[in-house]
Amino acid sequence: MPIPIRKLIAIGIVLCFFLPLGGCYDATEIDEEVYALVIGVDKGVNNMVRITFQYATYKDGGGGKAGGGGSDGGGSEESGEVDGTIVSTVEASSLLGAINLLDAAVNRQISLMHAKMLVFSEEYAREGIARYVEPLARFREVREFMRVVVCKGKAEDFIMENKTFIGTNSAKNIELMFEQSKNSGYFPDVFFNDFYIALLAPYGQSCAIYAGVNDFQHFPQDTGGKNPPLNTKQDMEPGDIPRKGGTKNELFGTVVFDGDKMVGSLTPDETRFFLMGIGEFRRGFFVLEDPEKPGFIFVIEAELSKSPKMKGNMEGGRPVLDLELTLDADIVSIQSRNSYENLDHIKGLEKIIEDYFTTGLTKTIERTQQEWNSDIFHFGKKIAGEFQTIQEFEQYNWLSHYKEAKISTQVNVNLRRSGYIYEAKPIRGTSEGGQGST
Amino acid sequence: MIKEGHFGFYEAFSLMTIVLITKIFFASPMVIIKTLGTAAWLGTLVSCATSIVFFFILYSLMKRFPQQDLYQIFESVTGKMVGKSLIIIFGIFLLYSAAVNLREFITVLKIYSMPFTPPGVLIFAFLLVVTALAYVGLEGIARTAFVFFYPVIGSLFLIIILSIPSYDFDYLKPYFGYGLMHTLFIGTLRSSAYDEIVFLAVIIRSIHGLKLFKKAGFSSLLLTGIVFSTCLACIVAAFQYTVGSEHVSGMYQLTRIIYFSRFFQRIEAIFLFIWVITSIITVSFTFYLALSSYCRAFEINNHRPLLLPFSILTFVLALYPSTLAEIIEVHIMILREFSSVILMLIPVMVFILAVVRGKKGVMRNANTN
Amino acid sequence: MKKQQGVLQQALALITYKKTKRPKTFTLAEMTKGQDQGVPMSSSGDSSNKQGLSNNQEEDKEQQQSENRKGNQYESQDESQNESHNKEQDKPSLGTPRRRRAKKPLSASQVRSNRTEGDKVRADIVSNLQLIKQLFGVPQNKDLIIREFEIGNKKRAFVAYLDGMADKQIINNYILRPLFNMERSDPQEEKRPGQLTGVSLGSVIETNDTKNLDSIEKVAAEILKGNTALYVDGLPYFITCETIGFDKRGVESPKTEGIVKGPQEAFSENLRTNISLLRRIIRNSSLITEFFEVGEKTSTTIAVIYLKDVVNPALVKEVSRRLTNIKTDFLVSAGMLEELIEDTPFTIIPTILSTERPDRAASHLVEGRVVIFVDGTPFSMIVPVTMNELMHSPEDASLKWQYTSGLRLIRFFAFLAGSMLPGIYIALTTFHREMIPTDLLIAIAKAKENVPFPTLVEILLMELGFELIREAGIRIPGIIGNTLGIIGALILGDAAVTANIVSPILIIIVAVTGLSNFAIPNYSLAFGVRLLRFYYILAGTLLGFYGIALALIGFVLMLVNLKSFGIPFFSIIAPKNKKSKDVIFRWPLWLQESRPDFLNPLDRQRQPEIAREWAQQDADEA
Repeated sequence: MPIPIRKLIAIGIVLCFFLPLGGCYDATEIDEEVYALVIGVDKGVNNMVRITFQYATYKDGGGGKAGGGGSDGGGSEESGEVDGTIVSTVEASSLLGAINLLDAAVNRQISLMHAKMLVFSEEYAREGIARYVEPLARFREVREFMRVVVCKGKAEDFIMENKTFIGTNSAKNIELMFEQSKNSGYFPDVFFNDFYIALLAPYGQSCAIYAGVNDFQHFPQDTGGKNPPLNTKQDMEPGDIPRKGGTKNELFGTVVFDGDKMVGSLTPDETRFFLMGIGEFRRGFFVLEDPEKPGFIFVIEAELSKSPKMKGNMEGGRPVLDLELTLDADIVSIQSRNSYENLDHIKGLEKIIEDYFTTGLTKTIERTQQEWNSDIFHFGKKIAGEFQTIQEFEQYNWLSHYKEAKISTQVNVNLRRSGYIYEAKPIRGTSEGGQGST
Repeated sequence: MIKEGHFGFYEAFSLMTIVLITKIFFASPMVIIKTLGTAAWLGTLVSCATSIVFFFILYSLMKRFPQQDLYQIFESVTGKMVGKSLIIIFGIFLLYSAAVNLREFITVLKIYSMPFTPPGVLIFAFLLVVTALAYVGLEGIARTAFVFFYPVIGSLFLIIILSIPSYDFDYLKPYFGYGLMHTLFIGTLRSSAYDEIVFLAVIIRSIHGLKLFKKAGFSSLLLTGIVFSTCLACIVAAFQYTVGSEHVSGMYQLTRIIYFSRFFQRIEAIFLFIWVITSIITVSFTFYLALSSYCRAFEINNHRPLLLPFSILTFVLALYPSTLAEIIEVHIMILREFSSVILMLIPVMVFILAVVRGKKGVMRNANTN
Repeated sequence: MKKQQGVLQQALALITYKKTKRPKTFTLAEMTKGQDQGVPMSSSGDSSNKQGLSNNQEEDKEQQQSENRKGNQYESQDESQNESHNKEQDKPSLGTPRRRRAKKPLSASQVRSNRTEGDKVRADIVSNLQLIKQLFGVPQNKDLIIREFEIGNKKRAFVAYLDGMADKQIINNYILRPLFNMERSDPQEEKRPGQLTGVSLGSVIETNDTKNLDSIEKVAAEILKGNTALYVDGLPYFITCETIGFDKRGVESPKTEGIVKGPQEAFSENLRTNISLLRRIIRNSSLITEFFEVGEKTSTTIAVIYLKDVVNPALVKEVSRRLTNIKTDFLVSAGMLEELIEDTPFTIIPTILSTERPDRAASHLVEGRVVIFVDGTPFSMIVPVTMNELMHSPEDASLKWQYTSGLRLIRFFAFLAGSMLPGIYIALTTFHREMIPTDLLIAIAKAKENVPFPTLVEILLMELGFELIREAGIRIPGIIGNTLGIIGALILGDAAVTANIVSPILIIIVAVTGLSNFAIPNYSLAFGVRLLRFYYILAGTLLGFYGIALALIGFVLMLVNLKSFGIPFFSIIAPKNKKSKDVIFRWPLWLQESRPDFLNPLDRQRQPEIAREWAQQDADEA
């Protein structure tokens, strides 16, 4: 069969001829690029913006050096070396322009493929961020899973403090940092994708994570003597947590946007209620004051047992909304050792907790309505059902009518379990009344 | 007459389904969501219903002339000259459709995955495989389609399932989009998106009989309608109608937002396989039919020597549009909204003509058979 | 006609290529038990088909009869077989290949067969002796032993045999001794000179099989097999006695298809032994063995075995058509024959299953396939096969179905990984870096930081190293070989990483690929996969996942168009046919009620709907 063979050879030769055409135009070796893990946007001085990139270095044995590098701040400040990563800042007209400017200095192309965090400075966010969000939604390299963070102070400083203390792996560090939203609920876990959709949405407004750098100055010196007051509220701003040691970065609270401008922020406690309202609250400890023994506390661990029920309709031109939450809670601590968990007391306790949540939720919603008129709960999606067409809905302009809405809330709490102990016994000692039962 | 081989219901069904379904991966969802907003899923169901009605007319036409395919019916109803020119019109349209589909795929591929490779190289590689498929012929294309049918449908299903955390079906409100009448009107107009089903009548002699034709046609239309509607609903639910109408490829974006944990994310490149496979099968099917129409029109009994000139032609045609805007606003518009003028109107006219001319055509056929 | 055409028409004809034709292919037709004939040899070609049909019918009947005959006396491959095939060769029935052959000059075998007609055995010993000597080139050829002697009434006689091929014990004890004894014990023979006949001689010779042959060619063929030819002066024929007795290997355990559970014997080089191994498993009178001879110079015996009441007759016909129409000089192994009879020689996936296990061959026979043996090869070839059979291991039937199903998934994975893993790795690391988890990405980048080569070169280096180890492992003798293979791979990989030639993750990729390759049960398929790997590497390097997807479609296209003796090679998936219960998931044996649909066997039912009748019974009543 000489003919097919000749044909095959001919085809083969033709293909070989075309082979260099396929010459891997898009192929780039892994180590020819550096992968920006964090993008920071600050207001510029001589140009529009200052963009900060944090990208991982490929040095061997990053573990040993990183531990040392973290503690001595001074020397590495200059080169921007932070725990196996480099932080570079450049002033440019735009984000993508900044990448090309940095090509002059960083000897590899900066890739945004693995960017995990987008940080805006608060100053910048208050002026409106739409102009710099746009390329992020359009450019192919940018991931939808970047978290959107607004930080108090400069984004550059925040990124400089983005250090790895526990492990050596910066990428993992960043990812796990945001996972903590699930454990405390003190800040929302906002993906860029959701943020961008909410920016365009007629149903509601967008929000972001609020962050700050803690300089450990809020940790008061030990004065001794006095009895400290009991404070179960978390209404601090990021950067104000009284603590020391570990990383200086803090994610704490929610930034509320109206359109593309930051208008205010929710406190961590409010953030919890907000997350409950949108059904993204996972779990968290709630510290409440003992109803019978002031100064004592009890702690519950609560989680949403159902996704929240939202109902809405128009009553005489005024939107009326209903939000109903159902929470499952476990008692994890009763300092007074009173038996709140038994059948006689449990209803009462549930009532107290329900009141706490209902008040918190109502106040949070009211705050977004009255203070900012920004529907970060996306109540609009329920109101949209009242309209037949998009034209009517857009004409009505829900976002501006948010503050008129009458929103009633209801929280049902089921205290399910009480930990390892059921009906604790009092602690006994020679002096009665200290911690004994009443 | 070229030998086209035989295949059964499943091959025909999967071939037609893949050919119909391919457009969901590209710019179609964007255009539909842009025009229909939140009612996109409803609109495509209207299109599907319209095309099912059309398919019923087509079926009646095929029933009038049993054991003949569409091209033969053209010739026996309208006469040899007109019939042949109809076949050539079909052929030209098929070639155009192959080229535009190809270009659309390449453009989306370039946007999402391979920004720096010149389109010529991508098209060349693509056409290489298309030519191989067309060389083997319809039977090979149908079998390949069948092999990939389950992976394609399975992956679509997987995309939709895995994106569940992103859905909020409240975003389908307001239900009537830009108005019910508007939706119905556009829906009917866009039934062109389903009119590739006509090609089933062209290849009817490869599938065993009218019964299978009917079964394969209806079931693939139905499945495609369901898939389209589901996909559109999911895109709107995940991105709302605002962002959904921005994305060049809604389904691709849907894969990009799949996120379960920090380990299970960024899996969109896997779905690239499905993109490529469906496009290849669609383009090679239309490409092969274009070839076969040409062979029919000029009574050639082997299509293989024509492969090279036709693939060069397709290559040139595919490179013709210069910008994304031109592709989306001109060519895809023509293909998805006005193609019914050729693909639906001609068979319907032929059907009316056959009815008007009365039983003569039928009798003549009955005698020859 | 052509002259009358206008320029336009000529131009039109030029563009439209009206003259071209499509090649014809063989498709296995459906058969029912009632009609064992009427097999269209080609799917295309309308008119020629009808002509062929009538011829086929006649021929088929005839063949059927001759098969029956052969079935009864399979032990003796006598002349009737050869004759029947000669007859078949001369028939001008089968479409194009015949016509093409007729145009060619006569081949050597035809020349020889023409001469056969003239080479009748003479009735005198001198000329016959001369003939034999001439045929074997005796003064030079030292292998042919001719022993001349006189028997009975001083009649001259001789025996001729090939040294080494024949068992001398048999010749001495059971041929020569009786002949000499006849002289002594039968003095009355003297009184009846010239009465010595084959009949009486036949009763004197004490070997188990004798034949009277009157063609010198056939006598030579017998001698070449190791038999002994006896000629007694005055007879018009030779008497050949079966004395085959050369050294051969015994039945041993399988070398390449070793399993844990199940029978542990394998075919050997001896054709007879192999057939008997099969027959010992399938004790059925409808098991037919046909013999063919292929090879101009080697005259290799080829056995075709099938179950008459199961196999599709068209299949047997096609096999014998291919075997009888091979013109080659040298054939010693099944591998060579495979290349000569497979449907598509250009594919890298084998379309013929070769196995050294009698149990496996038997199971395929029962399913309605044909087994082909080549004398001297310890492998049987099974046709037709699908992708499915190549991915099955002989152990599958011996294990519980749950285990088997799991194992098959592993093999399926091995097939994919063995062919695509390096390609996917290249595509991932050079085109789709966004898919790699960030931690891993940075780890890879760190490891690659000091490696000077691009990923492609790294992969090719490692693959080359691995292939070297594999190839060298075969040559390196015995026990050292295995050890060296493993050690070599470890040391080579480790050293390459330390020397910054490759990155460590790549070692894992190459090792997993290599392991996957060994997990593929079929030796030839594993070779195909080894090659495929480079195909995907090329595709992945050039165009990333896009390239791999294109390459995959190309590969699937090739698979769906492959045919193995008329049945689509990929028929377990496409074209769609009746569901088999033994594909990837193996259903319990008692649920596998029918034979593979695509084989179109005469008898589709393997077992009744209820195979486990005892389960329906009440244990106490029975």
